[in-house]
Amino acid sequence: MLHSGVKLCARLLLLSLSWGGTHSTGGPGSTLPPVVSGPPLSSDVRSVVFKGESQVEEVQVVRPLTLALECTWTGSQDRPHNISGFWRKDGSELADSRRPVLLENQQYNLRRAFSITDEEGLGNYSCVFDNQAEVDFILAAPRVGEVRDKPIVSYVGDSVVLQCKMEDTKPQPNSWTWYRANGTDKELLDPEPDSPRYQIHNQEGKTKLTVRNLTEADSGAYYCGAVYDISVTLSRVDLRVITFLEPLKPFLVIVGEVLVLVSLILLYERTKAHGPQPDNTLSDDQAHKLTPDDAGGEVTDSSTRQRKV
Amino acid sequence: MGWPERATGNAMATARVEQPARSPGAERATPGALAQDGALAQDGARGWVMVGALFVCSTLVFGLIRSLGAFFVEFVQYFQESAQAISWITSIGVATQQLCSPLGTALCNAYDAQRVVMAGGFLASLGLILASQARSLPHLYLTMGLTSGLGWSLVFTPMVATVMAHFTRRRTLALGVGFTGVGVSSFVFAPLFQYMLDNFGWRGSLLILGGLSLNIVPCGALIRPTRKKAPPRPKAGGKADNGGGGGGGASAFRSLLRRVYRYLELSLLAHGPFLTYTLAITFFNAGYFVPYVHLVAHGRQAGYSEYRAAFVMSATGAADIVGRVAAGWLTDLGRARLVHMLTGWTGLTGVFIVLMPLASVAGSYGLLLGFGLGYGFCAGALTSLVFAGVPEIVGMGRMVGALGLLSMLESVGGLLGPPLSGYLRDRTGSYITSLVAAGCCFLLGSLILTTLPHYFSWTGPPPPRPPDGDGQEERQDAGAGLLGSPASGSTNGTASKDSDHSQTCLA
Repeated sequence: MLHSGVKLCARLLLLSLSWGGTHSTGGPGSTLPPVVSGPPLSSDVRSVVFKGESQVEEVQVVRPLTLALECTWTGSQDRPHNISGFWRKDGSELADSRRPVLLENQQYNLRRAFSITDEEGLGNYSCVFDNQAEVDFILAAPRVGEVRDKPIVSYVGDSVVLQCKMEDTKPQPNSWTWYRANGTDKELLDPEPDSPRYQIHNQEGKTKLTVRNLTEADSGAYYCGAVYDISVTLSRVDLRVITFLEPLKPFLVIVGEVLVLVSLILLYERTKAHGPQPDNTLSDDQAHKLTPDDAGGEVTDSSTRQRKV
Repeated sequence: MGWPERATGNAMATARVEQPARSPGAERATPGALAQDGALAQDGARGWVMVGALFVCSTLVFGLIRSLGAFFVEFVQYFQESAQAISWITSIGVATQQLCSPLGTALCNAYDAQRVVMAGGFLASLGLILASQARSLPHLYLTMGLTSGLGWSLVFTPMVATVMAHFTRRRTLALGVGFTGVGVSSFVFAPLFQYMLDNFGWRGSLLILGGLSLNIVPCGALIRPTRKKAPPRPKAGGKADNGGGGGGGASAFRSLLRRVYRYLELSLLAHGPFLTYTLAITFFNAGYFVPYVHLVAHGRQAGYSEYRAAFVMSATGAADIVGRVAAGWLTDLGRARLVHMLTGWTGLTGVFIVLMPLASVAGSYGLLLGFGLGYGFCAGALTSLVFAGVPEIVGMGRMVGALGLLSMLESVGGLLGPPLSGYLRDRTGSYITSLVAAGCCFLLGSLILTTLPHYFSWTGPPPPRPPDGDGQEERQDAGAGLLGSPASGSTNGTASKDSDHSQTCLA
């Protein structure tokens, strides 16, 4: 009984080893892969060679996988033969990750495999050498790069298109979702296909949310979510809905100023015209004979000059 | 798109005051023409008020057109249309402004310049206000494009003609100062438009822009109304009586055609020097905008950072403003003929444009900046001179119509130039060819200028006689219509000297 039990255990162990490469036996986010069912996790390796004190490496994670992170440090001035190294996740040291690191070929090497299966597995992983040097691996799903920092302004009764575009250089999401900020929560926007107000149009790498018949209550923050296997990354778009009265005020001020100017100018011309000199309009015959008599004549004489033939 | 300066490219200035004196015989036969040459050209305070009005108008027309690029992104996002479809808005606006320039000047000839400019300002503003309500892209084409474009065409050339009519001695300087509005406004409008877009979106911004454009109306109101209220009747002399015995309608139609022909100054299309001049200016136009469009991209391609490349453009823009005023002042010193100075500026512009890509290829940023400054200065300089040169070629009587025709014809260069250079860039993969081609356009235009009659004479051609026969006196009316209300400006020392000169011929 015991013998077959041990054999079973050994077989299970062998099977589990062959499924997904090496696994960490502890730490958050890692579970033994199912033995019988479930797809195998893809695996990837990230290794960094560095000298100096710290380095940051960004890792894009799109789907669950087993990620082996490897740090190679060239050491500081004095190179003790034996230092201690450990791993950190999001600032807290991983249990049982601390181990002695030996100097090989003038370098120290730390390597650990992490199983990232869901959103919890993402975060900031660090390998730390002797509290002196560390590399931060930032594991995250791709975010939309160009974020518009200013709100989109639109008008009551008008329609607006909010859009998010994932750059071609980044992995494209499986699909998109939209959320509306509701206090501190985000509520999902899930319009029926023929709803008059909201319309979501998804394309490869691009999503557009069309909101019609805007009201002032529609102002606020909207979030587009890029859906990946591993998690959903959000990107914020602000909408501001104003009434037409807002630009109308400066417009009316300017129109008023124009009217005042025009009246002043026309009034001035009229007083000048009706002042010392008679009306300037002449018949065509007299208009030909524009022969001024006096040199450097004054303003008041202009029309009289024209009259003299 | 920054087409504006194209239209500012035309006109040769400095009709020399001595000219009427030199050939009194020809002029005396048509006393009205003389009066036009001398009567209003007083360089007085009134003239400088008009320069201020021109400054505001060029700001609100071309400065505005130049800065409309800020709306581009907003339109693309709202209408979800391609970049090309959105670009058509400004293309239509600019094309309408230029193609309808003869209409603007014809109306000027027929009616009051004051009314025409005021109507133009109102139209332009109306177009923008209506555009703020647009729900579809064709709506924008019609309002921002056609309506505003038509309004702008009624504003710009009449305004230029008015300023030119008010000056003789300092004509080029006046034009130069007036045109600085374009450059200054592009510095002001860029942040202003951005602020408006951030706070009011594109609809509110267009509405406010419409209000701002309404400021053209007071500028037009500043123009002295002329003594002519109605288009002149055809003089007795058999012209209107041709076939008058027969169908009255036929002769009325014919006389209408005749009037249209006269107001549009279509006789200029057979005028050799005018056509030569127009051809040269068209070439200038073809090359003028290429550096503005391609230089930044070329700088990036040559490896300079975005900031450094943009800085060259800003420096060029600043040099442009300085060049306008400096060249205007320089020309009016009267040391050399305007045509010669124009050839000089355009030749230099061409040289600088050709040198610019060579400098960046050689890897020197300082040289590129230097050549850019030189280009900016010379390009601004030539814009002051181009319009001011028209009277020397066609005479003051036909100047107004000539300006309109010139604007329209030279727009061909402006329409073809940038796409052609873009094509060159696509074919060769670098901007060097396109910039060199633009420089060659300038050099070619300079050469064409030298073929003008009497080019190599020191004192310029004799003043042109109006064509015989049809509508001589009407033409004088036409010109005088704009120049009308002589001596309404105040006269200062220099002005009285000028009018002394002209009046001695008239005496």
